[in-house]
Amino acid sequence: MRETLPEVPTLGTLYASAAPRVLRKVTSVAPDALPDTEAYVEAVRCSREQLTAYQRLVGDTVREELPSVLLHGLGFPVALWLMSRKDFPLPLLGLVHLRNEVRQPRVVRPDETLAVSARAVGLTAHHAGTAVTIETRLFSEGELVWEGRSLYLAKGVRLEGVEAPPAPERAAFVPPSTTARWRLDGSTGRRFAAVLGDYNPIHLSALSAKVLGLKAPIAHGMYLAGRALAQCAPHGTGYAWSVDFATPVFLPGTVEVNRTSQPGGVVRFSGWNAKASKPHFAGEVTPL
Amino acid sequence: MASSPSPRRAVIIGGNRIPFARANGAYVGASNQDMMTAALDGLVARFGLQGERLGAVAAGAVLKHSRDFNLTRESVLGTALDPATPAYDVQMACATGLEAIGSLADKIKLGQIDSAIGGGVDTISDAPIALSDGARAGMLALGRARTLKDRLGAVASLRPRDLAPAAPGTNEPRTGLSMGEHQALTTQRWGITREAQDELAAASHQHLAAAYERGFFDDLVTPYRGLTRDNNLRADSTVEKLAKLKPAFGKNLGEQATMTAGNSTPLTDGASAVLLGSEEFAAQHSLPVLADFVDYELAAVDFVSGEEGLLMAPAYAVPRLLARNGLSLQDFDFYEIHEAFAGTVLSTLKAWEDPEFCSERLGLDAPLGSIDRSKLNVAGSSLAAGHPFAATGGRIVATLAKLLHEKGSGRGLISVCAAGGQGIVAILEAR
Repeated sequence: MRETLPEVPTLGTLYASAAPRVLRKVTSVAPDALPDTEAYVEAVRCSREQLTAYQRLVGDTVREELPSVLLHGLGFPVALWLMSRKDFPLPLLGLVHLRNEVRQPRVVRPDETLAVSARAVGLTAHHAGTAVTIETRLFSEGELVWEGRSLYLAKGVRLEGVEAPPAPERAAFVPPSTTARWRLDGSTGRRFAAVLGDYNPIHLSALSAKVLGLKAPIAHGMYLAGRALAQCAPHGTGYAWSVDFATPVFLPGTVEVNRTSQPGGVVRFSGWNAKASKPHFAGEVTPL
Repeated sequence: MASSPSPRRAVIIGGNRIPFARANGAYVGASNQDMMTAALDGLVARFGLQGERLGAVAAGAVLKHSRDFNLTRESVLGTALDPATPAYDVQMACATGLEAIGSLADKIKLGQIDSAIGGGVDTISDAPIALSDGARAGMLALGRARTLKDRLGAVASLRPRDLAPAAPGTNEPRTGLSMGEHQALTTQRWGITREAQDELAAASHQHLAAAYERGFFDDLVTPYRGLTRDNNLRADSTVEKLAKLKPAFGKNLGEQATMTAGNSTPLTDGASAVLLGSEEFAAQHSLPVLADFVDYELAAVDFVSGEEGLLMAPAYAVPRLLARNGLSLQDFDFYEIHEAFAGTVLSTLKAWEDPEFCSERLGLDAPLGSIDRSKLNVAGSSLAAGHPFAATGGRIVATLAKLLHEKGSGRGLISVCAAGGQGIVAILEAR
């Protein structure tokens, strides 16, 4: 069932509307608990100011292409609208961002008007809880120009009637060689929020993060992906990319980064914490 | 088909520099323009160029104030050269000085000009401090504002944190790694030992000190602000003393960290200049001819992807230059390999000896091979003298030209690495 929203919702309002349900304790969820709702916004545009601010933020060049992570950001409020509704079975605040998979068949120009469609497409059992997949698609005059699936984990929530898979055996992390180093200051989360509107309190300040049980604010996963893609993504062509998040990047903090070229123009990237020798994220970009 | 006439020669007549000074020391308060003018003044005085209209003066600085948009021209106007001497700035990171000299030599060879001065200058002590991007955005908006409301809005957009100044660093913009951190990766990749690096550093100090002792620099250096010698020079430097220093770069390598403040160049202030001309110009003005500027070559590598080390571009430039001139790596009497870090020199030498690198990366049938190390940096190099980025090319060209002239025969090879994964190499021949 399609619900057409008059405009892109404001993320702050969505988080605020979900806040009263922070205390709601969800322990299990039925496999068919996802609402069959497609959230839809007819016309979304990215302003020049927002595009430039984003490109500056992640160290990209100011050029006439909408970066793929910025396109994710344009569609994200529509997805979040779904996830903040009363009929969404998992608690929004506290969801852990696990993975993104994006396919963008062609370059999207800044002056294109985009329609956004978002749906929750599936619940899967995870060793630490239940994961939900949100699918977002962007259309330009009916042409699919961006589609992405985001996977979020609700920790400690059992998927009813499904046995949780065992935790995968993790080989000891062997850091690759450093090809770049990101020094992220304490305002990284606030600066990303100022550009993309994602004022999730876990990213903003020590205090707001502590309220939600974190020792310090953490970087937005999409900020990390955006910086990686600013270095690794091709220009003038479509591309597919994916990223898996392993452990959060606490702010302020330093991330060691590696990028490695593979045959076929594929670029793999990863980020890790050198002191703790723990991986933060890993992903790859494939030109289409 | 008519063959094009072979171009005439470009010769090196002489050089001059001010002593190089460790940053935030002897040259505090002196600007790039002050130091460049001092280096030019000394050169003009030495070769009697007062009132002379030269073909061109080209120089540059790596760290540059926006007010110095015409740094070289302004410096020329402060000298006794004819004010009708044109001048322009060159900027190619640490390759600036040699690129300026090489392109001037090309103009001379082509007959476009008869004489030129090339060089460079850098100061860390008087480095430009920029406003943060936030402050700049606010102030530029204020400049554009036409109404009181817009002006107030622009001022209100400024945040206290915007007022913190942004000092220039030696970090590569695309990787966030400093040059030393990049070199630490390359040094480890080539398995260069701490001992080998310290030996090279000690030799650099000993060679530079010996060159000063025998008066080699008497006609290459003009005293400035109380300095008569490079004040980074430690004539009593030894491998034992250097071995006591703690690692400064690549500390995350732990036990394998080998790069210290002793085997890395210090941040330095200084300026250098080299006088070039056609053979006719030298003869007409009764000037000496030290060496021919034979040829030069640029290269760049993909360090952003981690495919190659940041400072390895000269390893790629040299085989191309050798091939074009029909020479082998062993056909030289002097090698001047800029000591950005001892590890840079040793990694480059090892790469040229490595069959796999030479075949896969350089596309050669056989390795370039080893060099006779007794011919390397025989009058000291940057580890001892210091490295005011854009001034290093001029220091090396003048030093090598004089070494060749003293010997009276033979060739010298110059290799200089630069930020941005670039490199520049050149051949000089004795006269």
